[in-house]
Amino acid sequence: MRSLYERAAEALDRARSGDAFGPTPGAEPEPEPTALAAIALDDEPARRWLAGAQRGDGSFGLTAGPVENDSATGLAALALPPGPERERALDHILSTPARKVPSDPVAPHDPSLAGWGWAPGTFGWVEPTARALLALRLLRPQATGVIEDAVAFLADRESVDGGWNFGNRFIYDVALPPFGQTTAVALVGLHGIHTPGPADELVSRGVDALRRLWPVERGQLTLATSMAAFRLLELADAEEVEIVLERSMGGPVPDMVALGWIALASGPGLLELAVTS
Amino acid sequence: MKPIDRRTFLKRAGIVVAGSAAVGFATGLGVKSIVRRLDRPWDEAAFAPPGRPRVLVARVASYESDLETIVEDGLRDVGASLGGRSVLLKPNLVEYDPDTVINTDPRLVAATVLAVRRLGASSVVVAEGPGHRRDTPYVVSASGLGERLSDVDARFVDLNLAPLTRVPLHSRFTELGELWLPRPVVDADIVISMPKMKTHHWAGATLSMKNCFGCVPGRIYGWPKNVLHWAGLQEAVIDVASAIRPDLQIVDGIVGMEGNGPIDGTPVGAGVLVFGTDPVATDSTAARVMGLDPSGIWHVSEAGRFLGQADPELIAQVGEDPERSMTSFDVLPVFEDLKMGSASGGNGVGPDGFG
Repeated sequence: MRSLYERAAEALDRARSGDAFGPTPGAEPEPEPTALAAIALDDEPARRWLAGAQRGDGSFGLTAGPVENDSATGLAALALPPGPERERALDHILSTPARKVPSDPVAPHDPSLAGWGWAPGTFGWVEPTARALLALRLLRPQATGVIEDAVAFLADRESVDGGWNFGNRFIYDVALPPFGQTTAVALVGLHGIHTPGPADELVSRGVDALRRLWPVERGQLTLATSMAAFRLLELADAEEVEIVLERSMGGPVPDMVALGWIALASGPGLLELAVTS
Repeated sequence: MKPIDRRTFLKRAGIVVAGSAAVGFATGLGVKSIVRRLDRPWDEAAFAPPGRPRVLVARVASYESDLETIVEDGLRDVGASLGGRSVLLKPNLVEYDPDTVINTDPRLVAATVLAVRRLGASSVVVAEGPGHRRDTPYVVSASGLGERLSDVDARFVDLNLAPLTRVPLHSRFTELGELWLPRPVVDADIVISMPKMKTHHWAGATLSMKNCFGCVPGRIYGWPKNVLHWAGLQEAVIDVASAIRPDLQIVDGIVGMEGNGPIDGTPVGAGVLVFGTDPVATDSTAARVMGLDPSGIWHVSEAGRFLGQADPELIAQVGEDPERSMTSFDVLPVFEDLKMGSASGGNGVGPDGFG
């Protein structure tokens, strides 16, 4: 019987669009699914496509008129080999934190912590921040102040009982509940932080939340990112998630980001994302 | 209960235009946008005069009613012509919480699929790009929509993943200039916006115009479509709705949401469906059904200047009278002024006069 990774890798390969990968099988290539697949499959053509898709400012993403979504830059940096393209991507991340917004009683937050947004000049959110954090921890660890701020950002945006909503902790005094997928992605960004104190507790509460969430939120993207988080945290929960993911692979996977995460979570590519020091 | 008269509507709409300056500053738009707003930020040639659109308020006791027939009749009553047309249903499917009613009820969506087919549509798909969740299949499954669509053999399209096409904007309430919208939305002959009838903690109410946000792809505009919020939430509602211009609207008010909507509010049985062919007129009427003054909902009153008809006296109301069908929705304190009969509302009818 073929492993989950073999099945996911085969499905990814079938769904490629030339050298790269689109948001759905055969669709026009985009940086996010291509970066995930490049890491998961150790795929040289996908890496070449990525290098060619880098913008002049070092970023990766989608442009829609005045909107330049650059949130794929962290993943692209992780997919690129050492070299000037990767360094320019990291420089872009460091130079484009989210906009700092004054705290507001309606949506309270620490206004000194920016994080990263989906597009430059907007508010910071959990998923783009977690990606940027992971890229910096692995590839630019000397950016200690920025890394510490990113961890503090995720602590500030943590849901009341642990885990993460998409980025707000409260709206109009209502505590926003954590979501499985955003919690998993945040844990991917935070894994391997072993300093006694707040950061460790943050991860521990996130793990508890994810253990409650993934059995309920059984979409493939949630399951795959949860499995990746558990594996990076060296937790046996990953095996339980894998069993459920295996069962979900009966039909086609329309979301190539989800498929990329499945291949990543179940294969050797995940080691590329492991922060060991 | 007195309906809103035209003079009151126009007076209050004028107050809202002036008040929007504060909204512009709060969202970083600045003086330039305010000046444009006081001007006419749309291409006159792109928008026909709204005329006197028909809006139907239908009393519907529960989701166990014969929804297929009610929807078929409702669409006929507002003059929908679906024969041989490709139809895209856009329900509201933001995220899932079993304890409340965030989304358009899946039973209504499935019944609409069947009704649209009965009316001769050549094809029908159900499409949404959830704003608060990237894991769309989870929301589709958990909400029960997937099972209902399977029952009626209808396909779901994830608008967060669909191929995109550039759509130049003919209104300029934001500085976006263009939107990249999913091809299934742009290519459909008929788009039916199917919002849940809800209060909204930033906009007052979320109805068929705001529901169009779900057509905007998260992979460009982020989750929760935050780029649009930065462009100015209510300004973006107008620009997105005027780009999509849903041909038909069916507002699910059988059970709506009051209080801290659109996510954390409380279910409220309003017992109505609202049908229309003009999103502004439909939203204006649905707001009245909620006990809210449409002239106080900024995006509705502004859109009433060019996109559709917001003036209750110029809407051809069929079916139930909106005021007689009213359920007074609770709102957050910041929106108390929106309630018809509030001290500043000008209607002179106190809270006891509702319903």
